[in-house]
Amino acid sequence: MKNPDAYPMTHAPADVALEYQVAEEPVRQSFASPRMRGFMLLAPAVTVAVLFSLIPLAYLFQVSLTNDSSFFFTAEYTVNNYLEVANRYRSAILETVYLAGMSSILDLVFGYPFAYILIRKIRYREFVRTMMTFPLFGPLYLAFGLFYILLPNGPLGGLFAGLGINVTKYLFSQGAVLFSMAVFTFPFMVMNIGAALSNVDPMLEEAARTLGAKPWQTFVRVLFPLSWSGIIAGFLMCFGWNLGVFAQPQLLGSPKEQSVISLQMFLKGLVQFNYGLAAALGVVLMVMAFLVTWVSLRFSRGALGA
Amino acid sequence: MATLAGAPVGRERRIFSFTWLWNALAHGYVWAWLGVFALPFLATLAYSLRTPDGVWTLSAYQYVFGSFKENLLLSVQTTIITIILNLLISIPAAYAIVRAPIPGKSFLLSALNLSLYTPAAVMGVSLVIAYAFLFGIPQTMTGLIAAYVVGTFPLMLVPIIVALRDLPLMFEEAARTLGATRMQSFFRIELPLLGPGISAGILLTFVIVFNEFLVTLFIAGPGTTTAALRVYNLTRTAGFQPSTAALATTMQLVSFVVVLLFFRFFGSRYLKGTYLI
Repeated sequence: MKNPDAYPMTHAPADVALEYQVAEEPVRQSFASPRMRGFMLLAPAVTVAVLFSLIPLAYLFQVSLTNDSSFFFTAEYTVNNYLEVANRYRSAILETVYLAGMSSILDLVFGYPFAYILIRKIRYREFVRTMMTFPLFGPLYLAFGLFYILLPNGPLGGLFAGLGINVTKYLFSQGAVLFSMAVFTFPFMVMNIGAALSNVDPMLEEAARTLGAKPWQTFVRVLFPLSWSGIIAGFLMCFGWNLGVFAQPQLLGSPKEQSVISLQMFLKGLVQFNYGLAAALGVVLMVMAFLVTWVSLRFSRGALGA
Repeated sequence: MATLAGAPVGRERRIFSFTWLWNALAHGYVWAWLGVFALPFLATLAYSLRTPDGVWTLSAYQYVFGSFKENLLLSVQTTIITIILNLLISIPAAYAIVRAPIPGKSFLLSALNLSLYTPAAVMGVSLVIAYAFLFGIPQTMTGLIAAYVVGTFPLMLVPIIVALRDLPLMFEEAARTLGATRMQSFFRIELPLLGPGISAGILLTFVIVFNEFLVTLFIAGPGTTTAALRVYNLTRTAGFQPSTAALATTMQLVSFVVVLLFFRFFGSRYLKGTYLI
């Protein structure tokens, strides 16, 4: 049984379309072969990607091999930047990976039940989706709002005082940073797991129950294996986005959280004009992000699985 | 419908069933998260409406249409130009990827999506270097728009590809058989049918570009401060002011209204391939 959401009802199945493939070559001859035409249609996109993505990244790599900001004057080539990254910034890399990993684990733990309830129990899905766009507007507003909530005389100050919780101690702490990072990527996790779960027939769960499986057995033996690809894809997507975290540590974190790579890149490059070191940090971050993306594309079975 | 059929026989006889409690907890869990999503926005809204003395007033919003007006106008301007350029780039590319017989499509698609997976700070630094050294457009609006286009056109590309794959070939073939040229069949038959997919791309581009501050922070100059970057700068320099909160509230409100309109008219089906919303 197919989920009606996953397959639009408006079009005919693929085998119907096959019957209509009649006109192989149009009567009016076109000036270019179909392949040539394809390349021409792709040309603008490829040009933009090469000019503003590939060439800048190549420059980034070249600059990472030059001393300080000497690239803009007379380039002095050196590998010192990478040595410095390996020595002085090892803890920064670990902190970045730790924060991204922990927030993605939080997303998974809280996002799986959310996705399950959303797919199986809730009829007002569009409303939930709409509300879920708030984090997507950006970590900046999220961190800004959270900062105010955590202030001593914040909007929920009375409520927290009544419950006997001192929220202000979480300002400039790892907890606040992790929370805001997890909220930012929560929708990505829910959408990935939800896509996997919507392809799991509810009858399978019912069959497992009827055959005497307890709820946790149904989860471990039926649901979890069938939604595995969604879990991996969601986790890696959250992890990849969170690797580039910037605003949350800066607004809500202590100096330890503020050592994340993106923030250090900004400080080294744009504040201290040490472009060599900033570029080396950038190359390291980019390699990590691409590894994560590459693995996640292996697992995602969505539109991009061309 | 929590499976009466699946429940053990003994439990059906009980007057007090736990099923309703489960359902209430499940819905409560989702609503709690919805609260978490909206809470930062509501807090910002509350902060923008209140003076330090505890008086409720709209006076902070005079700055939004006063000293922040230029930033907002720049944001709207860059967003609209980016959307138009994204459309011009993505529609032909999506058509070629779905319909044209070209080799290595999945590799090509990954290569085009490369910039989507580049962390914003990496993109910022690399563009600063390339703009200063190669293109000669540092701190200009051209530079901003180029960065936005390369960063977000994959978000336009993916929903259009999804929509185009869902569209059977027979519409084009029927039009061609009836004598339409390739151009006519595309613009009069297929493009209108791709509408929802294209608008999903517009929505994603709008939401991301309108609120983008990180790449902007690296490549913008004094004359090219977008509204989102202004929020960031003000939090760094002026601390937490009601006027900053008012600007942040306005940005989120505008974004949310656009999202609401989109969901009202098109639903969320075409956003699926992106796994973002």
